[in-house]
Amino acid sequence: MSAGVLLQAIINGIMIGGIYALVGMSLNMIFGVMKIVNFCQGELLMVSMYVTYMLYSYCGLDPFIAIPLVAVIMFIIGAVIQVSLITRSIKDDGDQNVLFLTCCLGIFLSNLALLLFKSDYRTVNSMFADQIVQVAGMNISVPKLVGFLILCVTTALIFLMLKKTKLGKQIRATSQNPVGAQVTGIKIKAVYACTYGIGAAIAGIAGACLMSYYYVFPAVGNTYGTRSFIVVTMGGLGSTIGACLGGIALGVMETVGSSVVGSAFKDTLVFLAFILVLVVKENLNIRKKRG
Amino acid sequence: MKRLSIRHILAALGVLLLSLVPLVIDTPYILGIFVTTFYIGCCTLAWSILGGLTGQISLGHAGFMGLGSYISAILLNNLGMSPWISMIISFVVVGLIAAILLSPCFVLSGAYFTLVTIAFTEAFRNLFINWEYAGGGQGILIPLKKSGIVTMRWVSKVPYYYISLIMVILFFAILVWIDRSKLGYALKTIREDEDTAHAVGINSFKYKFIATFISAGMIAVVGVFYANYIGYINPDLFKNSNSLNYLMPAIIGGIGSVAGPLLGAGILTPLSEWLNSALSAISGLNLVVYAAIVIAVILFRPNGIMGWFNRSNLKKAINKKLDAIDEKLFKRGKEA
Repeated sequence: MSAGVLLQAIINGIMIGGIYALVGMSLNMIFGVMKIVNFCQGELLMVSMYVTYMLYSYCGLDPFIAIPLVAVIMFIIGAVIQVSLITRSIKDDGDQNVLFLTCCLGIFLSNLALLLFKSDYRTVNSMFADQIVQVAGMNISVPKLVGFLILCVTTALIFLMLKKTKLGKQIRATSQNPVGAQVTGIKIKAVYACTYGIGAAIAGIAGACLMSYYYVFPAVGNTYGTRSFIVVTMGGLGSTIGACLGGIALGVMETVGSSVVGSAFKDTLVFLAFILVLVVKENLNIRKKRG
Repeated sequence: MKRLSIRHILAALGVLLLSLVPLVIDTPYILGIFVTTFYIGCCTLAWSILGGLTGQISLGHAGFMGLGSYISAILLNNLGMSPWISMIISFVVVGLIAAILLSPCFVLSGAYFTLVTIAFTEAFRNLFINWEYAGGGQGILIPLKKSGIVTMRWVSKVPYYYISLIMVILFFAILVWIDRSKLGYALKTIREDEDTAHAVGINSFKYKFIATFISAGMIAVVGVFYANYIGYINPDLFKNSNSLNYLMPAIIGGIGSVAGPLLGAGILTPLSEWLNSALSAISGLNLVVYAAIVIAVILFRPNGIMGWFNRSNLKKAINKKLDAIDEKLFKRGKEA
């Protein structure tokens, strides 16, 4: 493999990784901060893609312009899901029920999409679609590049939000010790609803970016749901920057890997790498604990 | 030997009644629903050993079932080997594959274990889609060359009915036996608190290995049955949604109880088949309703039907009645 091909693969990987990073960050809010095992993250992404699609086809909004609106809509959807379903199913004994609930919610959402939109593949005509810029002989697709820039902005905003704002501090406090947070007067139910909402809103941003160059169909969430867990695990639970880097690493691994083992087996490679990372990490943790 | 009680008699009556069904009903569609219910019940029971008793929630059982189906289909098509032999081969091979692959992951807790099982299944699916020898993405057709007991192929559904019925009874018996054995107590201790299990000298690695072996092996046997019953398999078998199909009955029935998974399968499979046919005009609607029902059960009966029943007064009343009948029967037996 020549250096040029490798470099192109790495650049493509970083661009694809941008979306993985965004989805990973959205899961990170829910799984990492709130410890809610959210198995319907991919479906939230799917919903946001359909929202973007509807905004485009009924209001003529370009996906990139629609991002704030999609984020707000997804925030509301997420907060409603949290308040109506997830708070009720959280029990002290383990996370089993939440896991099952979100799994079923995933089935529910993807089949609702099938019911409303049929199984057709739908696309939108974004203003940057099919445009390519050339940097030092490397081709970069403009929608992916814009998506990547949006990722950088979102990461910075979330980081600042968690560190500086009152809500961010409340979220972190609730994440570290829910009982203690409650004692100090934080309304943890509202914080939970906000956190899930923010998670869904980030998925909305990811969905709008993805929609600008990809097509949407009811099962589109499958790929991204599992990958979001990979990203969060690789980047470290609860770390925003980690999720961002993890997503980019996953994207690069995928594109470079597929030019090494062939695109057919790239999924196998990704999953095996994930298992390896997870197992090695956990074993190191255990060793550390034992001293 | 244990005394014969009214509960045993009732169970035997139930089995007898079920075994008479094909004599009364000869619609293939209805029989098909029965067979599906039985084999989904088998899958759920197999899942319960790892998920229910040991508390390791696996979403990868579709993968182990798929491996079993593929082993059977390839052995039958290429070597002409009887599915009965490949049932044994699948049990051992798939059980070992699963236990060995998952053994490094036993240290993972909760959702991470679930994620690893999903990752393995997806990796398998990707492999099988691209593996030409195993039919690639198109899958394998098992042509009906010779029907009979050796090839496990019939046109009629009645033999499949009896095989699946026997299988589900056998699986249930295995689960009951494991639940009451030393193995079962060890597994349940691990489920409740792994540190305590270590403290009382239970080697959790060894028992998780055994549980994975049995659980995956059993579902692989169901896979062999499935391949020969449907006659066509493809990599879709490895899909995540299939794993959920085997897990949902356990949720509905009550994870951790022995009868729960079977009860759940008995309720959910006919329900899903009925929804499938009743709402087939609009694609997706059946699964929307199905998922909504399961979500409602998770929200309002988080311990499942058996979990709720075990705590209810109804169970006490029924037990009291049965005990009274038992005593009567027992006394009569003494006098005679």
